[in-house]
Amino acid sequence: MVDPLEREADDAPRRRFLLEETGFDEVPPKYRRFYRRWQGASDRLGPNEAICPVCKVVIRSTRELREGDRVYCMPCMSRLVLVRAGDGALEARVAY
Amino acid sequence: MADFLSMYSIQHWLASCPQGYLAGTEFGHAPHEREPGLVLEDPLLREQAIGTTVQLVVGERCALAASSGLVNAAPDEASKCFLATQTLDEARHVEVFSQRLQDLGVKRSELEDTIRQFANPNLVRFAEVLLEKVDRKDFVAGVVGQNIVLEGMAFSVFEMMHAGMQDVNPKFAHTLSGTIADERRHVGFGENRIGSLIAQHPEKKPEIERMQKEMSYWMLATFADSFRNSPAREEMRKLRANLSGYGSAPAKWQGADLTALEPAEMERLLADTVLKEFKVRLGRIGIEYQTPAQP
Repeated sequence: MVDPLEREADDAPRRRFLLEETGFDEVPPKYRRFYRRWQGASDRLGPNEAICPVCKVVIRSTRELREGDRVYCMPCMSRLVLVRAGDGALEARVAY
Repeated sequence: MADFLSMYSIQHWLASCPQGYLAGTEFGHAPHEREPGLVLEDPLLREQAIGTTVQLVVGERCALAASSGLVNAAPDEASKCFLATQTLDEARHVEVFSQRLQDLGVKRSELEDTIRQFANPNLVRFAEVLLEKVDRKDFVAGVVGQNIVLEGMAFSVFEMMHAGMQDVNPKFAHTLSGTIADERRHVGFGENRIGSLIAQHPEKKPEIERMQKEMSYWMLATFADSFRNSPAREEMRKLRANLSGYGSAPAKWQGADLTALEPAEMERLLADTVLKEFKVRLGRIGIEYQTPAQP
């Protein structure tokens, strides 16, 4: 059963985010703002961010990410799907 | 699938790599950057730097031979193109690390003798296991060995070295950051391409698992030699304390302060990190990780 509070949150409009350059230069310029370097275990991800499990780059979206969303990691060219992990956090899984 | 494979294009590589993070660099670093004076002046530090760099050259020569050898074994054009870009990446790595040997004072005429003198025999055995698969044109085993095992190891080793060098040797740290960016593409190709191919060739799994176990053993033996035979540890530590910037910030990697670790602790941290990564990466593509024997 889905927690009603959670369902309500999922039905709510997604928050929007303005992305700024972070100095990430491993993809062509027009895509750079969609990625940033991960700073290690103490790096807290925003609601619009997911970490690529393959290359450890943080993927950033202009909108809040939710379970089932598909994201693309251009630095390592992996296609990812967001799933809800055991601890309730969103986790990116590779789609082969 | 067509869209996925189209990312493995020369154009994508050009825009990301030579026109991206390598723009304006010379041998992987900013043109004005130099090796720290102390590394060049102190015989012990210089010899250690040469010894470490030789292992990088040996590893990259293996990667160059493997990626170029796999081009003709690839089952599709997109994979051939990707491996062609990887071949150039690996050739660049061989060049930048060989150039570092020359920056450290090794004469060009002495390069091969220096590599022979310092090359770790366990690392050579590691390379031989992989190159045997490549010589047999075994694409699936070759890519797992090259892009998941070898590149997975390189990814962690370079990250650890980068964390340790960032404050004390910006030139070498800059060179390493470019190679780490290259490794992201390589491990991504390994997982994504093999992740889809391994399902079509389940009969390959036992052989690949044996290869991973054997390569992992030689990797651990290489780490053991590198850390356990570290010369004059205390003297090295004193010398490092004199390097510009040392002590201003701890060299953090995987939650540990590298400057505070003993060689045995550093060896354990690196080995655990790499083996854990192997297990996770192989598990994702349906290959069961095999625990290697302890050297």
